[in-house]
Amino acid sequence: MANGRQMYNVKLSRSGREFSCAADTTVLEGAKLAGFRLPSSCCQGMCSTCKSKLISGTVDMKANGGIVQREIDKGFILLCCSKPTSDLVIEK
Amino acid sequence: METKSDIKLRTLLDRRTPGHSLEQEFYTSDSVFQADLEFIFGRHWIYVGVEPDVSEPGDVMTIEIGTASILIIRDDNAQVRAFHNVCRHRGARLVDDAKTSVGNLVCRYHAWTYNLEGTLLFADHMTGDFDKSCRGLKPVHIRSVAGLLFICLSDTPPVDIDEMSEVITPYILPHDVVGCKVAHTSEIVEDGNWKLTMENNRECYHCTANHPELMNALFAFGFGYAPSEDNAEAADEARYREQVAVAKTTWNKAHLPSAEIEHLDDRPTGYRCERLIIDRHGESQTMDTHVASQKLLGTLTTPKLGGLSFWTQPNSWHHFMSDHIVTISAIPVGPEKTLVRTKWLVHKDAVEGVDYTVENLSAVWKATNHQDGDLVAMVQRGVRSPAYAPGPYSPFTEGLVEKFCSWYVARMSAELG
Ligand code: FES
Ligand code: FES
Ligand SMILES: [Fe+2]
Repeated sequence: MANGRQMYNVKLSRSGREFSCAADTTVLEGAKLAGFRLPSSCCQGMCSTCKSKLISGTVDMKANGGIVQREIDKGFILLCCSKPTSDLVIEK
Repeated sequence: METKSDIKLRTLLDRRTPGHSLEQEFYTSDSVFQADLEFIFGRHWIYVGVEPDVSEPGDVMTIEIGTASILIIRDDNAQVRAFHNVCRHRGARLVDDAKTSVGNLVCRYHAWTYNLEGTLLFADHMTGDFDKSCRGLKPVHIRSVAGLLFICLSDTPPVDIDEMSEVITPYILPHDVVGCKVAHTSEIVEDGNWKLTMENNRECYHCTANHPELMNALFAFGFGYAPSEDNAEAADEARYREQVAVAKTTWNKAHLPSAEIEHLDDRPTGYRCERLIIDRHGESQTMDTHVASQKLLGTLTTPKLGGLSFWTQPNSWHHFMSDHIVTISAIPVGPEKTLVRTKWLVHKDAVEGVDYTVENLSAVWKATNHQDGDLVAMVQRGVRSPAYAPGPYSPFTEGLVEKFCSWYVARMSAELG
């Protein structure tokens, strides 16, 4: 908890970077606040630019056509419209 | 302005001798090839695939015709649409894969994002007066004829597709293309001009000598023949007539239209169809002439229904049996290269390894395509020679080859203006 907000730890497995992300903040936004710029474009869940593999953890995702069920089944998420609901490890 | 090659082409078209193969330039020259792409493949209905190629919303198939690339898409309302595969920003090709599945169509250059209806949803860093609604994907005309997909690259496609659709639909519908899945696809590139591929497809003069597998199942009589003095052949012909009479009764009872309808050279969207008997067990175009898939198509209940054959100008042929469908398109790749794409369709609930095997399903047409590819390449090598001169078609067995050529010449002349 920071300032009364629920915080989760997000780890980027390839770069080894870590940051904490509030439960009401998207992973993309959380990364940006921590000074990490991840690939993105529309920030609205449409363009797929931020599509990444979630290695562990759970998120609440509100996509907008930028991802198909088959990809979700394989563990992919859109970072721009996913808020953490647990600690996360993301392949990045 | 009229270019030199237009004049040349017109001269070649005007002086074509009916009943004979075409002059060498039609099979070898690059300028005729470019004209074929523009006037035939750019302005007629081209067969490209089947509805089961894009069975689910978000399914995408790409088709290349000349320099054009076309996206065939099933949208969220289950409607099939076609668009040019070109980003409206700076023109990047949107989809590279032959088949894929997407939520939106996204250009990976600058992430311009289109929905499945082709509407531009997102384009970053454009100014306030930028109007997204003017930058949707360019649509391409597409028609599903009983589940067979035809596209037309022209803004004003031939309207007679409606007529063909109306006539052919009752023939095809019992085979329920939409209720099928694509069990197998093969692509071969024949070393020949696309017209040689089509001419070869339009006769069975070469069948007996070259297609042992196919001739297990087919009677060459179904494709035109010369009344014979030869006793053995006359007996074969009598056997054929007898079997046709029996089959007609079965077909009528099953409400399967079977009569030949032939409009190969009297309209832009030329076609021909006929239900033909199959030899021996009579069920399917397989090695043993029995069905290859145990789940019969649509509402069909009898395996022994022969096969409905359907041919379209300029580039397709199809055979619909009780258990499976073989559907083939020819797409020009170069003056002396043609892509022949074959799909085998079975009932969508048929299970591979249980109801059918791909090997048994595809054996006859795999062998036949291979043999035809070899024949086409052989002809291409011959017509390239300085000694080649147009030769005469048999009025008995090559009538449909003549119809292909007369259609081609008439359509080229009309489009050339
Ligand atoms: S940035 Fe476009 S979908 Fe995430
Ligand atoms: S070319 Fe497609 S987004 Fe720029
Ligand atoms: Fe053949």
